[in-house]
Amino acid sequence: MSAAQATTPLLAVRGLRAAYGKIEALKGVDVEINAGEIVALIGANGAGKSTLMMTIFGKPRARAGKIEFDGRDITGEPTHEIARMRIAQSPEGRRIFPRMSVAENLQMGADATESSEAEREAGLERVLALFPRLKERIAQRGGTLSGGEQQMLAIGRALMSRPRLLMLDEPSLGLAPLIAKQIFEAIRTLNRQDGLTVLIVEQNANHALKLAHRGYVMVNGLITLAGTGAELLQRPEIRAAYLEGGRRS
Amino acid sequence: MSVTPAATSHASQPSGAAFIFKKALISAVVALVLFSLMIGVRTEAGNQGGLIYWTRFGDLAAMVGVVFGGSIIVELLRQWWGPVGTIRVVPPQVQATMAFAGRWLATALLVFTFLVPVIFYDQRYILDLGILVLTYVMLGWGLNVVVGLAGLLDLGYVAFYAVGAYSYALLATYFDLSFWVCLPLAGILAAFWGVLLGFPVLRLRGDYLAIVTLAFGEIIRLVIINWQSLTGGPNGVSGIPRPTLFGIPLDNSDNGLAAKLGIEFSPTHRIVFLFYLILAMALLTNWVTIRLRRLPIGRAWEALREDEVACRALGINTTTTKLTAFATGAMFGGLAGAFFATRQGFISPESFTFQESALVLAIVVLGGMGSQLGVALAALAMIGGFELFRGFDQYRMLVFGMAMVFLMIWRPRGLIGHRAPTVFLERSQAISSDLVKEGHG
Repeated sequence: MSAAQATTPLLAVRGLRAAYGKIEALKGVDVEINAGEIVALIGANGAGKSTLMMTIFGKPRARAGKIEFDGRDITGEPTHEIARMRIAQSPEGRRIFPRMSVAENLQMGADATESSEAEREAGLERVLALFPRLKERIAQRGGTLSGGEQQMLAIGRALMSRPRLLMLDEPSLGLAPLIAKQIFEAIRTLNRQDGLTVLIVEQNANHALKLAHRGYVMVNGLITLAGTGAELLQRPEIRAAYLEGGRRS
Repeated sequence: MSVTPAATSHASQPSGAAFIFKKALISAVVALVLFSLMIGVRTEAGNQGGLIYWTRFGDLAAMVGVVFGGSIIVELLRQWWGPVGTIRVVPPQVQATMAFAGRWLATALLVFTFLVPVIFYDQRYILDLGILVLTYVMLGWGLNVVVGLAGLLDLGYVAFYAVGAYSYALLATYFDLSFWVCLPLAGILAAFWGVLLGFPVLRLRGDYLAIVTLAFGEIIRLVIINWQSLTGGPNGVSGIPRPTLFGIPLDNSDNGLAAKLGIEFSPTHRIVFLFYLILAMALLTNWVTIRLRRLPIGRAWEALREDEVACRALGINTTTTKLTAFATGAMFGGLAGAFFATRQGFISPESFTFQESALVLAIVVLGGMGSQLGVALAALAMIGGFELFRGFDQYRMLVFGMAMVFLMIWRPRGLIGHRAPTVFLERSQAISSDLVKEGHG
């Protein structure tokens, strides 16, 4: 745990449990994210990473435990109310609106958070500066974009809500390494220049831990390890499970 | 992703003569099995009450032959003129011309529609037909909000049409309220029923939603039939007052419009008035829809059609979004219903059967879900076409069935499957069209 421990974290998850029917996916998870941090959540398939992100967003409902955002209890709030507190997500599988244009997709991000016209403009400018590819494609339908562009669009759409916390679910999934690198670079830029707080869920542990200030490792619905990104990268068990093991296969 | 759409559709569709022959043969075999009992053997009750039968293998062979030949023709046509995705038949110049024509088509149609009562002043039949077509254009545009934009399949749209019609009929006959007071009331009441339908179906999508809306349409009709004391049951409501031009009746009386203007009375005045009234109402529907599409609420409807989960994650309240879509669509249906009642002067539950819902839905689907111009064209083709084939009464359903099959083969997304975006960047005009080709990434 690093410096900002004394202040209240932006997002605090305590003893969170969630289940799909009888299958318990989260078995008491504690996670803290401080303002201005990038936090990586890594783990194997089915460890509960995406479930944690979705439970923070209210679906599935938490069975036990507490989620606090900026000191406010948001456990059990409906999804759209949580989004309106300006917690944004780029969901798994990107979920852009395929028949709507890139510009409309981006505007959708700003629609629910009561943004002024000036804020919309500024947000759009920021997103297009970050992802110039989207500017080229601005009038195209979302469904005609390549995978990498769709990921950029999903992140851009989330940014349009001027988020206080951005949650990304596997942003590098299915992307060419070069494109994945661009995406990670953009996240780093957002964090450094705009002070954006980011929670990133990744299978690509190497990339994610290099990017993140701190990381959590999740196994079978429990957090098994926590530490700074650099620390975790050095841990032999991490190297064995997520880095070298992955490279060999 | 560098494959052009034309190439992909080629690859997925084998196109040899053998393939066509095989497909035709399969169709012929299916036809043989189906028709062997339907056409091949004819049974009738004999003189003594026993069953006599005789065979008609010649007719059967002819039918199977027609299916075989027809199948080959359809396949060939499909290859020459593929669905929307294929672009190889249409050269870019032609496409540009068509795009140009498409831009002006709406304006031309609108101007023509305005002139219809002038051009066809003495042809009452055409005026009546025009009013009918415009009524369906309005219904189509109203349903388009629910089905085309919000993607909520509504098979009971006629219920709102009925609510609007009965609202006006009953308010006008019981309380002597004028058309202009009842019109907004009918819209509000229908919108209220739209919300009422919306609540139980909030969690439903697709087929399930369709079934519940279908049932809702039937419930409204059955209530109207059985609530005799209020609605007159199957006898309907008659003597519904005609609309007035802001209080001035369009009749033969001394304070009628003709007398006030000092011109000779003609019953056509009222028809022309009704024509412009429904035209104005339809255009209002169109205008409101176009405006709403540019606002966050319209965008939310479309996003809801695309991905409900993503909508929620972006902070869209899907409950209110769905309810407003139902309410808005229902309101337009109700307004059209009030117009229908005042035009007919008599309404009965028979006018609000499932067939009406199906017709309006067909107009929306054929027009291309979400396309305003497409819906108008489809309404013109469906209603106008229906009248056109009135002479061939027995065959018109056949012609329509075939027309729909061909349309779905060639333009599976409807007449106008293209969707115009509603958000533009001021500087986006600088981007050349070469950059935004499909599948370029």
